[in-house]
Amino acid sequence: MLPLSIKDDEYKPAKFNLLLKLSGWFRSILADKTSRNLFFFLCLNLSFAFVELTYGIWSNSLGLISDSFHMFFDCTALLAGLAASVISRWRSNDSFSYGYVRAEVLAGFVNGLFLIFTAFFIFSEGVERALEPPDVHHDRLLPVSVAGLLVNLVGIFVFQHGGHGHSHGEGGHGHSHSLFNGSVNHDHHSKHADRHSHGGHDGHGHSHGGHDGHGHSHGGHDGHGHSHGGHDESHCHDELLHTPGKGSSKQILQGVLLHIIADTLGSVGVIISALLMQKYDLMIADPICSMLIALLIGVSVVPLLKESIGILMQRTPPSLDHALPECYQRVQKLQGVYNLQEPHFWTLCTDVYIGTLKLLVAPDADTRWILSQTHNIFTQAGVRQLYVQIEKASM
Amino acid sequence: MEEKYSSNVLSGGKLGMVEVPNSRLTRYIVLLVVTKVLKALGIFESYDILKVVHIVQFIFILKLGTAVILLFFQKPFSSGKIISKRQWIKLLKHAVFSCVISLLGFFGLTLCGPLRTLLLFEHSDVVIIALLSVLFTSSGGGPSKTRGAAFFIIAVICLLLFDNDDLMAKMAEHPEGHHDSALTHFLYTAIAFLGVADHKGGVVLLVVSLCLKVGFHTASRKLSVEIGGAKRLYALDNLVSAVVLLPWVIVLSATTDSKVESWSALILPFGMIIFSVMILEFYVEAICNTKMEMPRCARYGTIALFFSALLLANFWTHPLTDQLRSMSKPPQQVSTEHVLSGGVVVSAIFFIMSSSILSSPSKKGQKGTLVGYSPEGTPLYNFMGDALQHTSQSLPRFIKDSLKQILEEYDSRQIFYFLCLNLAFTFVELFYGVWTNSLGLISDGFHMLFDCSALVLGLFAALMTRWKATRIFSYGYGRVEILSGFINGLFLMVIAFFVFVESVTRVLDPPNINTDMLTPVSVGGLLVNLVGICAFSHAHSHGAKSCPSHDHGHSHHGHSHSEHSHGGHAHSHGGHSGHGHGGHGHSHGSGGGGMNANMRGVFLHVLADTLGSVGVIISTILIRQFGWLIADPICSLFIATLIFLSVIPLLKDACEVLLLRTPPENEKDLNSALEKIEKIEGVLSYRDPHFWRHSANVIAGTIHLQIMSDVVEQRIIQQVTAILKDAGVNNLSVQVEKEAYFQHMSGLSTGFQEVLAMTQQMETMKCLKDGTCIM
Repeated sequence: MLPLSIKDDEYKPAKFNLLLKLSGWFRSILADKTSRNLFFFLCLNLSFAFVELTYGIWSNSLGLISDSFHMFFDCTALLAGLAASVISRWRSNDSFSYGYVRAEVLAGFVNGLFLIFTAFFIFSEGVERALEPPDVHHDRLLPVSVAGLLVNLVGIFVFQHGGHGHSHGEGGHGHSHSLFNGSVNHDHHSKHADRHSHGGHDGHGHSHGGHDGHGHSHGGHDGHGHSHGGHDESHCHDELLHTPGKGSSKQILQGVLLHIIADTLGSVGVIISALLMQKYDLMIADPICSMLIALLIGVSVVPLLKESIGILMQRTPPSLDHALPECYQRVQKLQGVYNLQEPHFWTLCTDVYIGTLKLLVAPDADTRWILSQTHNIFTQAGVRQLYVQIEKASM
Repeated sequence: MEEKYSSNVLSGGKLGMVEVPNSRLTRYIVLLVVTKVLKALGIFESYDILKVVHIVQFIFILKLGTAVILLFFQKPFSSGKIISKRQWIKLLKHAVFSCVISLLGFFGLTLCGPLRTLLLFEHSDVVIIALLSVLFTSSGGGPSKTRGAAFFIIAVICLLLFDNDDLMAKMAEHPEGHHDSALTHFLYTAIAFLGVADHKGGVVLLVVSLCLKVGFHTASRKLSVEIGGAKRLYALDNLVSAVVLLPWVIVLSATTDSKVESWSALILPFGMIIFSVMILEFYVEAICNTKMEMPRCARYGTIALFFSALLLANFWTHPLTDQLRSMSKPPQQVSTEHVLSGGVVVSAIFFIMSSSILSSPSKKGQKGTLVGYSPEGTPLYNFMGDALQHTSQSLPRFIKDSLKQILEEYDSRQIFYFLCLNLAFTFVELFYGVWTNSLGLISDGFHMLFDCSALVLGLFAALMTRWKATRIFSYGYGRVEILSGFINGLFLMVIAFFVFVESVTRVLDPPNINTDMLTPVSVGGLLVNLVGICAFSHAHSHGAKSCPSHDHGHSHHGHSHSEHSHGGHAHSHGGHSGHGHGGHGHSHGSGGGGMNANMRGVFLHVLADTLGSVGVIISTILIRQFGWLIADPICSLFIATLIFLSVIPLLKDACEVLLLRTPPENEKDLNSALEKIEKIEGVLSYRDPHFWRHSANVIAGTIHLQIMSDVVEQRIIQQVTAILKDAGVNNLSVQVEKEAYFQHMSGLSTGFQEVLAMTQQMETMKCLKDGTCIM
């Protein structure tokens, strides 16, 4: 028997070339739109921070220096996003059998957490200042914050545009990647070709070959298979795990966008409060502005955090919440299925759902049919990868 | 304004008593809220007027004005049945009582100021009745009502004790010079007799009169039926009270000289007060009570009233409003305004909470009248009451339960004790800081409190880990501890970063630190943290030592369990019960886990704090002994780096788990297990083996197997499960793909060997192309 699995270790380069690696990283950053955008914006942000820092050191202004450090801290969010978008495209290996796709969720989570921290710090600072308004010297505040606002506005536009691209990519994504996951189906191509001559109306029903084949023995299920053929055009299920980062880095984008919006809000708040302080001498405006902004940030981050925590904790995907009970019912109605146990469904990364379940079937049940039917049912619900353990009840 | 009011009455009359949908209720709610805001405004206005007008005169004018307007609108004499002599006498008594109550209320207003009066006096009857039933009857109405009553009492106590109003203290110093009539003098002496301070007397007075008011309202219900409607009663009552007060007013104005310069300037404010406090509120509340259910009405009204009172109290004395008012009125002396103190705000919040709890309509079930009777004739409300008591969570019971849960496990117990110690230290520090009025201590205390949040997070995670798996979280909540460790690690990173930045700026520009306060506090903090480190590091080493062996034993344990449940499946259909049993065994076994990510995070946090204290102490000594101001930032730089370095492994591990890495410590076992699986007889190949650590003690795995057609699936599944269980995987699902295609191929008269070759070809093709689509 030939070994059918391939170890990735053999292909690993023996020598570690930093330059090569750097250029490789660079290329991979530039290869994808999301990471390209992130990278450019990061560069912009970093250069701004450096300019601020040098100017601060040159003019010996402590405020500018600390502000530039703050900018550096902000950049970590972008850096996390960038790293995640690169990492999530790494191929899977023996250790990370699912690949690194979850990095994007993690990045979104980290970004959200950072934002919460920031919001908390700003809020506490605001409270402190509200109790004891300090003497803010606002002469240099305005130009810096206006410049920061401009940089952030650029970021918002870039990433909203990126968001559009992302949605486009999503559409293509759903079609180009396989949903079906049995190698059973790989072997039907040859057969399917013969079969296809009379089933001419569906252009993309390959992977349901097994199911069609079943139609011979049980009948009446062909239409079913055809009608849902659109879900699964192509097969290489491994591809799904290797390159899903193409357009699906929703969490990263959301996190980064939130971060930039928070920064923008901060700049706007500073500008408004500086104006108020200059014109009307309302010293209370500054802490109130910052508290409001902190609250706003906190509230806007909560959905992102909730979602990413759900994914990280292997929550049943919310989008499947309603579909799953129906699927369970349909599976239990299959001929020969006694019981459905330990259903686990979870999200690997954006829009990739994985499920495992155990079926208790009658001793004389047709396990192949049950298997393919179960796969079919859950594929319709949107589960990309399904593991069904069939256990026969002995009478 | 008059038009608005009358049109509202008309529209209310048109709608009648039909069942109104919820969306229509919003207009009534809005109306109610507007009314309450106006009322608050009116009360504030009347407080200002009461400074110049005598209280009896004031009430007389109010009653008279109301009576005139109501006579005009309600026409109590021309409509309805004729009132008998006995009813007139009752009405007279009623009016006298209402006069007394309004006297008490407005006298309280002069004592306490408008905000406190609104908070104390303007509670809905529903709330007070619920409160009294909780306080004085045994069947209170469940824990939630008790909670509401407790909030109410806390609020009153807050007003009594923690409300240090400067003006009230000032008034208490010279009570004799302020009042000028027999009545006020009598009240003052009564309060002085009670032995409380003057403004506190006002609070007591208002509470007493509130109770009187509620009793009065309840008693007057019968009379209102006799007279023919509450509105008619209200009109007549106002008229009669005005008549009752008339002689007193005449005597007063004859004997004392009025402080009012011009009555004409007061007409507008009086009109506004009469309109908003006496008339509009009465009508709107009547309408809302008929349209909505009473408790809901009470809740919205009270909350609106309190909020508007708080806002008004904040802005009433603001220079801007003063400017506005000075156009219509002579300016008041600002010095006599009551201030908005922290105690008032706290008590207002408590009042709002208590009124919303007490007016919540869970009382229905408690009364049980709506439930009816069972076919046997036994009343059903008994059961309902019990059920309600069980469903509404009692706070003490909840605390007791969670305490028990916390103390059950080693991890959470450890964290809990340390948290208690930390909190105690913090509070001592805070109290001492407040006592000595040292800002440094207070801010340090708040910093400690902030540090405690990490502990709280860890505690919560340790609790949550033990929650049972639900339909949504099908793997259970075990990952919470990893997430919590991750969050704690990130948190530390951020803190380290900020400390780093701070110290860099301090290196550039070393500030002058006063070192006298630092040492005792930081030594205390160091001691506390050392205790924590001892506790947690003990757990650490212990866990680390026992971890591998424990895991091993655990896996055996789980194995036997699952076999047992398999047997259960095989024999009967009770698969679920067997499964549940297995799951239980799992969670039970997982409880004794050693050092998990959560504990590591908490430990690191405590370690960082300890390092911080040590750094502070060292730098303090250095600064004192040698005057090296640079020592402080260098210490913090060093500490920040240390924290940073110590957090990295934790973060790396947590990240690996969260990224679904194959557990590194099981990797070798798993690889050999996979080799073994391939060697099982009948197994052609396997595909997509995924193994990942779900939580500290659960390793989940999924695998696809392709087997030959002539082997029994169940045997293969059991063998594979057993092999992987030995490798540490305890949540496994195996999908067996029995050459479906072989069967079909045979239908197409192709040989078995050919198919097999083709399969392998396809497999290798797939692996080589690896990502290309095979159409």
